[in-house]
Amino acid sequence: MTGAPAARPLLEVDGISVAFGAVQALQRVSMEVGRGEIVAIIGPNGAGKTSLINVVSGFYHPYEGRILFDGQNRTDFKPYDVAALGIARTFQNVALFKGMTVLDNIMTGRLLKMRGSFVLDALYWGPAKRQELAHRAFVEKIIDFLEIQAIRKTVAARLPYGLQKRVELARALAAEPALLLLDEPMAGMNIEEKEDMCRFILDVHDEFGTTIALVEHDMSVVMDVSDRVVVLDYGRKIAEGTPDEVRKDPAVIDAYLGVPHE
Amino acid sequence: MGILHAVLVAPFVDIASNPRFLAEVLIGGVASGLMYSLVALGFVLIFKASGVFNFAQGVMVLFAALNLVGLMDLGVPVPVALVLTMAIMVALAFAIERVVLRPLVNQEHIILFMATIGLNFFLEGFGEMIWGANVKKLDVGIPDRSFITAGIQMNQLELIAAVTAGILVAVLAVFFQRTRIGRALRAVADDHEAALSIGIPLKTIWVVVWSVAGLVAIVAGIMWGAKSGVQFSLSLIALKALPVLILGGFTSVPGAIVGGLIIGVGEKIGEVYWGPLVGGAIENWFAYVVALAFLLFRPQGLYGERIIERV
Amino acid sequence: MIYREAGQFKSTYASDQAIFPITQDRVVVLLAVAAAFLVPPLFANEYWLQAILIPFLVYALAALGLNLLTGYAGQLSLGTGGFMAVGAYSAFKLSTAFPWLNIILVFLLSGLIAALVGIVFGIPSLRIKGFYLAVATLASQFFLIWLFNKVPWFVNYASSGTITAPGRTVLGVMVTGPNATAAARYVVALSFVVVFALLAKNLVRGRVGRSWMAIRDRDIAAEIIGVRPLRTKLLAFAISSFYCGIAGAELVFLFLGSAETLAFDITQSFLVLFMVIVGGLGSVLGSILGAAFIIVVPIFLTNVPHTLGIALSVALLKQIELMVFGGLILFFLIVEPHGLARLWQIGKEKLRLWPFPH
Repeated sequence: MTGAPAARPLLEVDGISVAFGAVQALQRVSMEVGRGEIVAIIGPNGAGKTSLINVVSGFYHPYEGRILFDGQNRTDFKPYDVAALGIARTFQNVALFKGMTVLDNIMTGRLLKMRGSFVLDALYWGPAKRQELAHRAFVEKIIDFLEIQAIRKTVAARLPYGLQKRVELARALAAEPALLLLDEPMAGMNIEEKEDMCRFILDVHDEFGTTIALVEHDMSVVMDVSDRVVVLDYGRKIAEGTPDEVRKDPAVIDAYLGVPHE
Repeated sequence: MGILHAVLVAPFVDIASNPRFLAEVLIGGVASGLMYSLVALGFVLIFKASGVFNFAQGVMVLFAALNLVGLMDLGVPVPVALVLTMAIMVALAFAIERVVLRPLVNQEHIILFMATIGLNFFLEGFGEMIWGANVKKLDVGIPDRSFITAGIQMNQLELIAAVTAGILVAVLAVFFQRTRIGRALRAVADDHEAALSIGIPLKTIWVVVWSVAGLVAIVAGIMWGAKSGVQFSLSLIALKALPVLILGGFTSVPGAIVGGLIIGVGEKIGEVYWGPLVGGAIENWFAYVVALAFLLFRPQGLYGERIIERV
Repeated sequence: MIYREAGQFKSTYASDQAIFPITQDRVVVLLAVAAAFLVPPLFANEYWLQAILIPFLVYALAALGLNLLTGYAGQLSLGTGGFMAVGAYSAFKLSTAFPWLNIILVFLLSGLIAALVGIVFGIPSLRIKGFYLAVATLASQFFLIWLFNKVPWFVNYASSGTITAPGRTVLGVMVTGPNATAAARYVVALSFVVVFALLAKNLVRGRVGRSWMAIRDRDIAAEIIGVRPLRTKLLAFAISSFYCGIAGAELVFLFLGSAETLAFDITQSFLVLFMVIVGGLGSVLGSILGAAFIIVVPIFLTNVPHTLGIALSVALLKQIELMVFGGLILFFLIVEPHGLARLWQIGKEKLRLWPFPH
């Protein structure tokens, strides 16, 4: 990312403000995510990190500010239009479709790429069948990549938490996103699961060149994985920079990191 | 052109031309609206306190009325019959808690709702099996004469029903807002498991609530039964109470009254003034269509809370 | 020993996606379908066909339709009776107005009309969910029944207010009307169920089924990953009403012979809902099992006391029936909320291991 002429960042969040009644979730937050970058969004609980992700995915709409994706104003887009742009995400509380198998869950990630009429689908013939099998082949590659072959026919509700998170990641990847938003992808995991997840995220980035924005609490993960860090507190951005810069920033230390005890 | 006139102008002319008649129609609407409210109150109680949408509320009204009439027909004096019926409803509450609610405590609300549909059919068959299926006259000594005030004809029974409903609402509203048990009930409605974990005795709460709903059902049963006899169609009233709940919100005690009044009055006015245009029987669907229209603009009802979905 | 998958490897995704991936399953089902087409018409007596098999098939189709809407797409509907009525009255009007039209085509067109009505009444589902939607569907139920009662055009101005199925033939065989044999009507009903069950199965295991289940399980997340809620829900209403419309037409043309709106009232809606709950929400097989179960129970209840020599009054039987239905619903919801289909699945899994315990 050094030396190259400044390409337009993939995502630009420009002065976004979001409120729910009297609660100000975000206040004039601006940030950018460059193509191919991994940006971490950190901050104490209630800082507005998930709200920021929700705004970018089109679930909330800001009352001021703009969101630009690939240079185009996308502020008022509905969630399914945002998904169609190539933005995929995972959720803080795993939002898998509990009644479906892992395979079906990941296949839902391909829904945007599936065309066709329900009539042909009902006949499961010709183009409908070919399309279904082609998507299945693609999804199987993701299943291999994330090493979840053994559970592909398990109903999602039966999976342990760590695996559910991985399946959610698979579902997001199935959409072949240009931008991947991960909301606390490692929450509730033990050390081994976190290492695995870290590895997968880096592999995704290396293999597919996906731009990634992730919300995360674990600072060691953030240090290892991200190119840049954005820090939120009480709905405002209080710092931004490389992991090292942010770690030493006094405002960040005050609000969030604290100092190690002597 | 003629149609537009008939629908948009003529009925209003009718309304304006005979105020006395309009007043009688309104009173009739208020009366039937209050009846609906009484049934809806039972729903609200149970929903407010346990989050269960009790589809069987209407049948509970029927069941209460059937037991009361049956006992009275056997020669039991009215006050004793009332006490016995109350005891039966409490026993029913125990049974429902044990057989239906406890096994399903962790299930989603839709499962509980369907369980109450099953309960509905069971109680209907059971009640009729014990007491028979013919229409019975219910006479608990409430006067049912019509009288004329200010040139408007009114009915004593309907007046008493109105007053009773008002008292019930006031008592219940105070109960929920001011008492400890009321608070506990609200906690249970929010989250069963959380309530359990802070030591609220779920079983007791549920028996209490369903018993109170049973009491409300008895009152409703008496009112309805005195007015139109105790018969199977009482349980269909429950279906009418659903639009009332939609208007009034599922968790609002005053909302049940307001919703009932709106539906009752709306239905009557629609039937009397617009009904003849389409051959009558508008009452069959009017309430539901109003509820539907309402839902489109305000999915949470008049008094319900706006649900903010979180992701 | 017999029911094993050993040796059956799937080397293509196509074979893995098949409806019956296990060979034994496929064989048994094909045999069962063949038997269904051959055995009853040749061997079953009139009573079995008329009182059990035909209504079972008619309601199986309705249950399939409701299951697609409520079980797969998660949209609770209490309006099934109304949509069946739309199909029945459309079929009546079409076949009396165009007597030369093939009755199968009439059924399909009636289904289409019901589908359109379903779309209209499904529009509120975008804003309204859960119990509220159930109440909104009651609006469609009561309004439609009222409409068919009030407007004499629907019954061709008959003073009795009933519609009667005219006699129509398919390939030269009389299949509706007073002169149609039970066997002929049975074959038509069976064909519809087999074809539409297959189509339903194809739908639910593919793109459409997945978008339905996504909306059912987590509609917000579904929207965020790209499912378009209105389109998905309306498709569910359309297809479900299509099935229920045809079932309604079949109810009159293949089963009852003639009917009035009472045949489509709120009790019918509940009946079909019971079939879906008992059979299993979200299961094609479940719809069929549930229909069979609910049809057989009253027959069972009427006949068992009779054979045991106990005489019970009609009213009492009806009351026992209500109690048994209610009790069954409670039983299934408590013991196995996924219904008969799940019990079937568990049975098959045990069979795979047999004679080993685990």
